[in-house]
Amino acid sequence: MSQIKRLVLDVLKPHEPTNVEVASAIGDIRNVDGVNLSLYEVDQQTENVKITVEGTDVNYDLVLQTIENLGGVVHSVDEIIAGKKIVEEEETLHDRG
Amino acid sequence: MSFNIEEGRYIILGSIDGLLATLGIIVGVSVVSATNSIIVSAAFGGAIALALTNGLGSYLAESTIEYGKLAITERSLLRKLNNTYVESQSRRKIVKDAVSSGGASFLGSLIPLAPWILSVGSVAASVALSLFSLVALGVYSAYISRQSYAISVIKMVGLGMLIVIAVQLLRIGHLVQ
Repeated sequence: MSQIKRLVLDVLKPHEPTNVEVASAIGDIRNVDGVNLSLYEVDQQTENVKITVEGTDVNYDLVLQTIENLGGVVHSVDEIIAGKKIVEEEETLHDRG
Repeated sequence: MSFNIEEGRYIILGSIDGLLATLGIIVGVSVVSATNSIIVSAAFGGAIALALTNGLGSYLAESTIEYGKLAITERSLLRKLNNTYVESQSRRKIVKDAVSSGGASFLGSLIPLAPWILSVGSVAASVALSLFSLVALGVYSAYISRQSYAISVIKMVGLGMLIVIAVQLLRIGHLVQ
């Protein structure tokens, strides 16, 4: 199976643990080179965050397990880049439309 | 274990409880007997009972509140939080609060009891030590709440004086009988 280079996840999490703790925990996972966590929605009990994970061979199950252990729920996997190199999405006429 | 501002609640509650309840026992028992061993036995027994009931009471109350909060969060997340880091942090807080409450209560109890344990006991010494401790608690309370130190100390000492007066009135009432 090819290696996952980038994951972009839409996650719903409680306020505690903090986003700093969540990002640090994911950053500590084996083969993860970097994490970007950005908050885009907040309500009284929960927060919606976008988590981008990049690495040489990101283990999705481990990332999922870490997020769930910290009380989060993965709503969707918005982007995955796998293979030998990172391939960015190409803009087509349809997107420019 | 690190300390945070929330723990101040149980430290203040427990300390005042232990301090003033034990002082009440000492003042009350001294009406019928000023024997050191009797006062130490009665007050120490009270101190242990207070520590256990405060600790247990806090454990039960905090368990209810923390698991209630978890249930609300679970409803928002549409998932259970059993066996997660979130639940373990809640359990940790429950235990910390119970230990803070029971521990503070026991330590507070030792303050008015100290002169009697050292065999230099008198009601006046117990009252003086207790009032001095209330001043310290008032300062601590003001430090946490960022309120006026003077007002906080006056509130703490005023409360203590009320209780000492109430117990003394009972004592006088017993003597009059």
